[in-house]
Amino acid sequence: MEKLSIVESVLDNLPVAVFAKDATDDFRFILWNKKQEEVTTIRAEKALGKNDYHLFSQESAEYFRSVDKAVIKRGSLMKVPEEIIETKNGREVHLRTVKIPVHDKETGRLLVVGISEDITEQVKSREQLERLNRHLVRANTELQETQMQLIQAEKLESIGRLAAGVAHEVKNPLALLLLGVDYLSQGIAPEDPNVEIILKQMREAVERADRIVRGLVDFSSQRSLSREPIQLGLVVEEVLLLVKHELTRSSTKVSVRMEKDLPLVFLDMSKFEQVLINLIINAVHAMSGTESKQIKIRARAESLDEVVKNEGARKREVFRSGDQVVILEIFDNGSGIAPSDSGRLFDPFFTTKATGLGTGLGLSVARRIVELHGGELTLQNRTKETGAVARLILPTKLETAKVTTVSGKVKTTEPVKGIDTTIGDLSS
Amino acid sequence: MARKILLVDDEAGFTQLLKMNLERAGGYEVRIENDSTKALATARAFMPDAILLDVVMPGMDGGDVQAQLQSTPLLSHIPIVMLTALVDSTELSEGAVGQAGSQMVLPKPVNLALLLRVLEEILPAA
Repeated sequence: MEKLSIVESVLDNLPVAVFAKDATDDFRFILWNKKQEEVTTIRAEKALGKNDYHLFSQESAEYFRSVDKAVIKRGSLMKVPEEIIETKNGREVHLRTVKIPVHDKETGRLLVVGISEDITEQVKSREQLERLNRHLVRANTELQETQMQLIQAEKLESIGRLAAGVAHEVKNPLALLLLGVDYLSQGIAPEDPNVEIILKQMREAVERADRIVRGLVDFSSQRSLSREPIQLGLVVEEVLLLVKHELTRSSTKVSVRMEKDLPLVFLDMSKFEQVLINLIINAVHAMSGTESKQIKIRARAESLDEVVKNEGARKREVFRSGDQVVILEIFDNGSGIAPSDSGRLFDPFFTTKATGLGTGLGLSVARRIVELHGGELTLQNRTKETGAVARLILPTKLETAKVTTVSGKVKTTEPVKGIDTTIGDLSS
Repeated sequence: MARKILLVDDEAGFTQLLKMNLERAGGYEVRIENDSTKALATARAFMPDAILLDVVMPGMDGGDVQAQLQSTPLLSHIPIVMLTALVDSTELSEGAVGQAGSQMVLPKPVNLALLLRVLEEILPAA
């Protein structure tokens, strides 16, 4: 057995790395225990008599030297909570080190004694924990967002169910009122000319109430579409004819630019027209304070990946990566969307229009129709100019052919022209 | 001779006003039945030329009454116009008068002029 002093024996069996440098001799190592060999992968006989510059990289050596000098200058213990050394085989070792200045009275030498604990495993598990935590935070955020969407969807469903009931209950008294007004209007010309005006206003009020109720029923009954492949350009043309009066009356200029050879889109023509009419009329209303009112309609084809990147589209679950979509945008140069309104635009009954001018259902019905088409409708302020832009993202395919059961046999319906796509029964 | 119309609807006020309007339009004799379970008996006694039938009613709904009428030999030929508050506007946009099977459907609130036109169409000339 090799003869060792007690001190040497203790040092070599310590679970921590211990070393000492001679500050009066260019910080050369005079002590290097077993654990220090293990941590640095440098044998004691190689290290003793050398300094940090001989053993470590220039950068590390400079760092160690600066700490050593600071320890000497302070004349008291210094703690280094975490430092990293790179071993010859490229492994990073994380150390928690304490450096102590020692004045050796016998030799008169000034020493820096270091005691290092290898905390690599701790650091790794800490980093892993942090990574896990970040994942958790992200998952939680996603969960909350999904929950919000669910709540919103549930809210819309409840309103839909409620609406159908309310509509029936309200339409009956309205029917009675209208018949009463009909009867009175056909009476002998009354002496008081106001009677005629009053009856006219009463009829208009009944009709207005009926429109609101009908909007509600529309909202709650949008669950079935009759879709066929259509050129978007034709739909836009048709819609512009339908809103021509409104555009002329408000002296709104319209410019349409559609990319050549746009792929066909599968639309329920009449429902989709309702969406476009709604968006255009909204745009016109938003420009009431604008001097030269202008609506720009643009359409282009893109692959979904570009769309998700550029537009921040949410519909990943509906579209597939790489799918072709058509983007239709309607720009206005009106007052834009107030920040306080932006979160509520699609809420049923939310309207910025004066009482009687809007039911507050137009956009929520429009979005619902677009979503039934497997598309997405968003409304934002324009980035460079004033005004807003309504953006429709439409798939160029029908969703995966749905499976229906016909007399006990499972049959897959092919996406064909004029297919009737029913999307779940939402009323139950 | 006046054409006979039977109104079956649980809303008494509505039927009363519809009767007034139809009678003033001229050429109609109108009978009201607010209790749908008595619709068949009333129809037997009155023998109308046309029946205006509400859809949502307590007791028997419009569909039940219609089935009963159509399975009764002497009454099955009588044209029926359904009046309903359940129709949505997209269904109505196709000419305002919907056809449910061979069934005429008119939305509530009732457009009086439209109702009169429909009655002229389905009733034999007076």
